[in-house]
Amino acid sequence: MSATKDKSKVHKLSLKGSSKLVAEFFEYSINSILFQRGVYPPEDFTTVKKYGLNMLITSDDQVKAYIKKIMSQLNKWMMGGKISKLVVVITDKETGEHVERWQFDVQIFGKHSKSTKSRASGDKENAGPENADTQASVEKTEKEIQEEIQAIFRQITASVTFLPVLDGDCTFNVLVYADADSEVPVEWGDSDAKEIKNAEKVQLRSFSTNNHRVETLVSYRLAD
Amino acid sequence: MATPTVSTPVKTHHGIFSSKTAGGRMPLTPSPRMRAGSMTSNHSSPFTPPRQQEGAKDNGKSVYGGNLSSYFAKSMSRATRNYRESPKSNIARIRKSPKHLEMGVSEWALAGTGPSASQSPSSKERVRKEVPTRTTRSGKTTVRIAHNAGDRFIPNRTASEGLATAGTAKPEESQRSKSNGNEGSTVLASAASAFDIGGRGTEDDITAALENLGLEDSETSSTSSSSSYTRPAPDAVAYESSLADACGVNLNTRILAFKPPPPESSKPIDLRAQYNRPLRPAKSKSAQFRRRVQTAPERVLDAPGLLDDYYLNLLDWSSGNQVAIGLERNVYVWSADTGTVSCLLESSPDTYISSVKWSGDGAYVGVGLGTGEVQIWDVEEGTKLRSMFGHDSRVGVMGWSKHTLSTGARSGLVFNHDVRIAQHKVAELVSHTSEVCGLEWRPDGAQLATGGNDNLVNIWDARSLSAPKFTKTNHRAAVKALSWCPWQLNLLATGGGSYDRHIHFWNTTTGARTNSIDTGSQVTSLRWSNHYREIVSSSGFPDNSLSIWSYPTLVRNIEIPAHETRVLHSCLSPDGQLLATAAADESLKFWKVFERKPGTSASASREGGVGSKAQMTKSMTIR
Repeated sequence: MSATKDKSKVHKLSLKGSSKLVAEFFEYSINSILFQRGVYPPEDFTTVKKYGLNMLITSDDQVKAYIKKIMSQLNKWMMGGKISKLVVVITDKETGEHVERWQFDVQIFGKHSKSTKSRASGDKENAGPENADTQASVEKTEKEIQEEIQAIFRQITASVTFLPVLDGDCTFNVLVYADADSEVPVEWGDSDAKEIKNAEKVQLRSFSTNNHRVETLVSYRLAD
Repeated sequence: MATPTVSTPVKTHHGIFSSKTAGGRMPLTPSPRMRAGSMTSNHSSPFTPPRQQEGAKDNGKSVYGGNLSSYFAKSMSRATRNYRESPKSNIARIRKSPKHLEMGVSEWALAGTGPSASQSPSSKERVRKEVPTRTTRSGKTTVRIAHNAGDRFIPNRTASEGLATAGTAKPEESQRSKSNGNEGSTVLASAASAFDIGGRGTEDDITAALENLGLEDSETSSTSSSSSYTRPAPDAVAYESSLADACGVNLNTRILAFKPPPPESSKPIDLRAQYNRPLRPAKSKSAQFRRRVQTAPERVLDAPGLLDDYYLNLLDWSSGNQVAIGLERNVYVWSADTGTVSCLLESSPDTYISSVKWSGDGAYVGVGLGTGEVQIWDVEEGTKLRSMFGHDSRVGVMGWSKHTLSTGARSGLVFNHDVRIAQHKVAELVSHTSEVCGLEWRPDGAQLATGGNDNLVNIWDARSLSAPKFTKTNHRAAVKALSWCPWQLNLLATGGGSYDRHIHFWNTTTGARTNSIDTGSQVTSLRWSNHYREIVSSSGFPDNSLSIWSYPTLVRNIEIPAHETRVLHSCLSPDGQLLATAAADESLKFWKVFERKPGTSASASREGGVGSKAQMTKSMTIR
């Protein structure tokens, strides 16, 4: 009993670290998208070293504060494991049409494996006590995770080559697919999925930590 | 913790019970394999198989430890219901999605074929197997119910559909069933079936947590037991979930948007330009053209008594590499070669020096006085050659073109003096209505540009001086800064005062304005570089700086905070590398703004070096 308790403690801590890492990834992703897709002028961005890359983050105070507000809530949800998707939607200011949609799917292994365990037990008769499962999952080093993340950002950067040029002023919105029982602060409200009609979708790379798996998908409006 | 304790025994007993139950049921129900298959196809739920196994175990348990008499009681109710329901269940199938009902119907067809099904032993046997589950379920209100509900949900659900239809569509029939004396059990049965539906509904959700399942079940049970025949409640859930399932929407998640609008972009962005930029955009876009400019002065000299007057022109650098500066009543000459200073002249106490200008050969200096007198001095000799009168107000600006000295006065008049002849005034240029503070001859002497406190820029043709060739009204303040481009003869740059702050570029052949810069501060002087495609401007309030602009891109390459107070005058060294600035802080500073690249020789520069100019010494004679 005490053994399982200890295990769950370790599990929780790493989950926390992993949530932090994923949330941080989101922050840099949002910044990268805003820069790469020209939502804000390039001179509003400064470079910082991150993931072994030169990452561009906004230096505009207003945008900074805006992203910070999003991130603080996102961090809370991530810690609680409440989020299944994060979406950055780029909208044409004039027409109000959604032109691009960056979707990050989050899978939480802890949540997932809890349910798989009962299922998996059917197949694996001899599956030992609970903790055997966590031990079995391959421990990833930070370096490996960082390399995976790096690859995603390289892809996001490279994606400007195939994404259509965004004409005119664009703005962006952040959507979150949260569990129904999540606590929702006033700044957040229910929304539609803001899907793009006739969208072309491109699945980008994914990365995973020991607790999370994040998949990246960009959908964009096909040229008429 | 509850989950593992429940699920662990399942693992171990699973094999035994599932086979047993399956065997016992074989004659009446479709094979478990088939059922499992259809179930997964219906709901594609990963939960389904283990659930079924659990249920099988529970079922088996209740068979062994159950109360037989109660089974019989139930079996009666079940049987009667089945008998009446069998046709309805078919209707129900049509109403519901066919997928869901297919196998359920087949079961019910088996159970309810004969009209006297309740009497037939085979059906009784079947019912016996079936009913214990009900008992367990109705008897318990804990989470376990949820698990039970899950186990055999396929036949149960079908039953509940039948029940529901019977209850609502044909109330008289259900009345009849109540008259049979099985009222209580009917309620129980329907409640149980409600569990099943609730259970199934949640099971459809792949990510549904086990706790949620339990919670929802108990809710459904309470509603359905209070009003035993309310069909909509369980059915709505089932419908919703099946609809959600079909649409691929997860009922347990919400899409939340961060509502505050994102901050506006400071300016429109052209992505195309962005894609071509280097990741680290430097101040100047073209890195290959960027050059280093010293931001510290080469030398600082004191200029005590320098008048802080925008309209005067008190600094000039000769082709002989001498700097003349007017300080109150004195004109000093500082030799840039030797660094020696000499006082050239001192005016009478009732006036002051209002302008100084070297002749092109660097031998003479013209001095304008506050009285309107213009003097010409031989610097080498240190003697005054002549005085020219004519202006009745101070002469704030002068310009040489060979032997012609043009003087602009506070009255707005500009006189051309031929310094060689006694009747020196050869032309009177009348156009400005206010003080003339800027005056510059084109290097070839074909055109003269003048700027005044009346905000006008006049461009004169040297051949016809009766009226200006062009009069430009674009500036909104006094125009002091004028500069002719050394590499493009018809290009003139003019800078406006503190209310204007613009530099305008003119094509003096056509009179068209070709470019403009808003500098953000009073433009006090402009100097083109001889060997860079650049122009330097000096500023007054608020910047007090020097700015170097690329032409024609008009990109500000550098801004040097030059003085503490406004920069009043500037002039370039004869080699074009150094800029001297005099400011109201009574200092004279030298800046290496156009430093030549080490490779290029002095002769390569357009204007030529010191030596070539020095040979021009005393190219004219002043009488």
